[in-house]
Amino acid sequence: MLFLKVMEDELIDIKNTAISFILEAEDLESLEETKLQFLGRSGKLTLAIKGITKVAPEKRKEFGILANDVKQTIEDAIEAQKLKLKGQKLTRVIEKIDVTNPGIKPPLGHLHLVTQAIEEITAIFGKIGFERVRYPEVEWDWYAFEALNFPEDHPARDDWETFFIKAAIDPKKGPMLLTPHTSSGQIREMQRKEPPIRMLNIAKCYRRQSDVSHAPMFHQFEGLLVDKNISITHLKGTLDYFVKSWFGEKRELRIRPYHFQFTEPSFEVDVSCGVCLGKGCKLCKAGWLEMGGAGMVHPNVLKMGGINPAKYTGFAFGWGVERVLMMREGLKVDDLRILYSNNLEFLEQF
Amino acid sequence: MNIKILDSWLRDFVKTKAAPPKIGELLSLSSVSVERIEKYGNDFVYDIEVTTNRPDLMSVVGLARETATVLKLNGINAEFVPPKFTKPQTPKINLIQIVNDPKLVNRICAIVMEIRVGKSPKEIQERLEASGTRSLNNLIDVTNYVMKTIGHPTHVFDFDRLNTKTLTIREAKKGEQIKTLDEKDYVLNGGEIVAANDRNETVDLLGIMGLENSVVTEKTKRILFFIDNNQPTKIRKASMALGIRTEAAVINEKNLDAELAYDALLFGIAMFARIADGKIVSDIIDIYPNKIREHSIEVPLEKINQVIGVDVDPEKALRSLSNLGFKAQISGGKIKVTVPSFRIGDVEIEEDIIEEIARIYGYHNLPSILPPQTGVIPHLFANQFYFEQRVKNALKYWGLTEVYSYSMVSEGLFEGPLEQAVEISNPLSEEWVYLRKTLVPSLLKIISENKSQETIKIFEIANVYNKKVNDLPEEVMTFAGVIKKDKISFFEVKGLIEQLCYDLGIKNLSFKQSEKASNGSSIYIGKEYLGEIEILDANLIDFELNFALLLKHATLQKEYQPLNKFPPIVEDLSIAIDADVETEAIVADIRSQSNLITDVDLKDSYKGSRTFHLSYQDPEKNLTNVEVSKIREKIISSLKKRFKASIR
Repeated sequence: MLFLKVMEDELIDIKNTAISFILEAEDLESLEETKLQFLGRSGKLTLAIKGITKVAPEKRKEFGILANDVKQTIEDAIEAQKLKLKGQKLTRVIEKIDVTNPGIKPPLGHLHLVTQAIEEITAIFGKIGFERVRYPEVEWDWYAFEALNFPEDHPARDDWETFFIKAAIDPKKGPMLLTPHTSSGQIREMQRKEPPIRMLNIAKCYRRQSDVSHAPMFHQFEGLLVDKNISITHLKGTLDYFVKSWFGEKRELRIRPYHFQFTEPSFEVDVSCGVCLGKGCKLCKAGWLEMGGAGMVHPNVLKMGGINPAKYTGFAFGWGVERVLMMREGLKVDDLRILYSNNLEFLEQF
Repeated sequence: MNIKILDSWLRDFVKTKAAPPKIGELLSLSSVSVERIEKYGNDFVYDIEVTTNRPDLMSVVGLARETATVLKLNGINAEFVPPKFTKPQTPKINLIQIVNDPKLVNRICAIVMEIRVGKSPKEIQERLEASGTRSLNNLIDVTNYVMKTIGHPTHVFDFDRLNTKTLTIREAKKGEQIKTLDEKDYVLNGGEIVAANDRNETVDLLGIMGLENSVVTEKTKRILFFIDNNQPTKIRKASMALGIRTEAAVINEKNLDAELAYDALLFGIAMFARIADGKIVSDIIDIYPNKIREHSIEVPLEKINQVIGVDVDPEKALRSLSNLGFKAQISGGKIKVTVPSFRIGDVEIEEDIIEEIARIYGYHNLPSILPPQTGVIPHLFANQFYFEQRVKNALKYWGLTEVYSYSMVSEGLFEGPLEQAVEISNPLSEEWVYLRKTLVPSLLKIISENKSQETIKIFEIANVYNKKVNDLPEEVMTFAGVIKKDKISFFEVKGLIEQLCYDLGIKNLSFKQSEKASNGSSIYIGKEYLGEIEILDANLIDFELNFALLLKHATLQKEYQPLNKFPPIVEDLSIAIDADVETEAIVADIRSQSNLITDVDLKDSYKGSRTFHLSYQDPEKNLTNVEVSKIREKIISSLKKRFKASIR
């Protein structure tokens, strides 16, 4: 018993001595020396701990705990002193540098504006439960037009507006074409799953048009919601949510009558002009900018998708990614095709 | 399609005190988009966009009807005053016989009149000019004025220049030559609707434009006033193919109400009498084989409220419908509606009626409500879009810039035999004909278009298209990049792909000497071919990977490994070895010597020697020098035996 007390006192002594040595160390070398002196293979603490064999077996645990404690304290003190000494060194270095010299930057590239827009649109609609999907760009007429209630002689179905593919015409699905809108995904989604449906289809689309406001390849995002008791007020709420999320809370939305084959009623969606905030200016039409189309899914389209229009209603909207991008303040470009010109000077601005 | 009309003209048919801006605002919200209202002398001109389903609104009368309805529902006094037409006294004389083909023309109304050519009154000229139509002479002006007012295009022939007993409507033959009234020559494609005289000379391109050989002139004494309601698809096809996009053609290619043709005739006769001293000298011709059939639709009130989302007042709904020209009544909880002739092509189902009620109620008066969540739709966080974004972000922060290039390429940019290409049958330009099978050529084009930049690192993730027989092409999401940099190292590109795969949780990636490119590497995930790195020259390297395959293997799943209790022993091992021996083979051989070897890395390689960094670790205990040296000897003897290597 007495013997244990003596040995414990010895450990405390070692600790105190070690700490005073550590605190007095003025450089890293002498600190390292102190470390060896106490914690090295034949250091003072190491030897003292080896004395555990002399302690009665039932007391060894108690002794062991104390020994570990002392060791930990010494190690911590060494680390703390080390940091302190290094810090002094660092201060000395900083005094000599010219902070106005350029920093060494990690590499940083750029994501295309369209990618940035798609990411944001996905997040906005994801928050209200719309799941992103992607459907074929090369599509059958049946999905792109026929099942969407386009009459056979509709102008969009002729050679002047849509790109067709050199391929045999399918007896059921018609000619092969480059899909002119993401709406072809409506039917594919209805075939894939039962209501409730909340789809966000974002994909490349193609139209036979190339001028300052049209590129032959562009992107659309298409929302489709099919459920019981869906009404125009729900569509309006969803559009309002998007407009305020995307453009900011100051911007207003309005829907007004329009005409599309695959929705009834159909709407044109306008957003108040960001420059004049709805008062009317040179850049807008009487205070409003057209964003795109929307509407209640036409009952024939639901039928084509295998959904009973007596049981379910739904709404859909499909807008150009490029269009909503360009409608943001500060992004008005003279020619939309600059997005696909891949001029690096342009891409590196974003 | 747009129509411009003067406010004063509109007020011929709608009596209201509402000011033009109010009319414009309410029309936009509930009917047609009034894009601009501009001052025009003491008057205003409305510039209005009309949707293709509403050709009836390409007219002052049609717009007046809508205006009155919309104003009234918004509590503003307004009255629609439709034009009144009376059938004039006509002599029982037939001066010309018209032979119609009912497959081509639904209705023809015509009459012969004596007239005096001259200028139109100022008011008529002004109204036409304000709507963007040049005033020529009173005869032409009448045709345009009638079209704008009533909404049906009309035509006027010089009856004496026609010089024929019959006018035969037929399809044009391919190769027929015509000269339009604006003196332009065209060769017909066949199938256009034309009128021919006794000598089988083509004298009119119906529904699109009159011809030079029968047009009225300053000398015209007698006219054949002619209104033709045509098959819209025929007009569309002919007008697009010939590139003649007259206002008449644009209206005629829509489903135009044939009932309007007769109104237009009567209105025109009265106009000729008023401004061209017109005297009727023949009976009215009215050939009407394809009569419009009226139809009616029933909609439950309950459904109306469900679709609109608010309860609408049925009485108000009825009034709106009847103001719009529908006959409507309520019985048994349903609204029953008879559709007027000018809306037949547009209003066919319950939803069309709901639209009429809702838009006049005012979409702006409806609340915005987010649709309630029903059912449980799980969301897969780490889906293909998540990984795509993760890859793009990684590349961005590694200094690459993303590009988007066109999916369609020129013959020059298409890689591979053209018969394998998915080809566009009606390309817009030679630049965009084939759907690409590889992305790299497009990226290399971008490199060459940005010559001024010395260092370029770009990438693209997009579909490539593999042709299939009797089916849609296979669209494969593909990832490609090009790096242009002075003395670019292959290993910089390899490292990028390795690190990307590591981040995606893909482990069994391997690089083999390329079989395709003369200089580069083929990359595999297990046995599946992922893609290629291609060294083009000392400063240019590209790569193209099957992104869909990366997505297939990508995972966020991680496995916990217990932390090591005992420290590793590390050392470097330098060997002299033939340069042809692949590092991967050496590493595999070293690793196979003991499972206590936890890491083998190539640290350095110089001519005939390579230095490897080795880690030894035992999860159970501290390794001793003796144990490590035993393993080392095993390694050395194996390398000697297998690769004739020696220790340096």
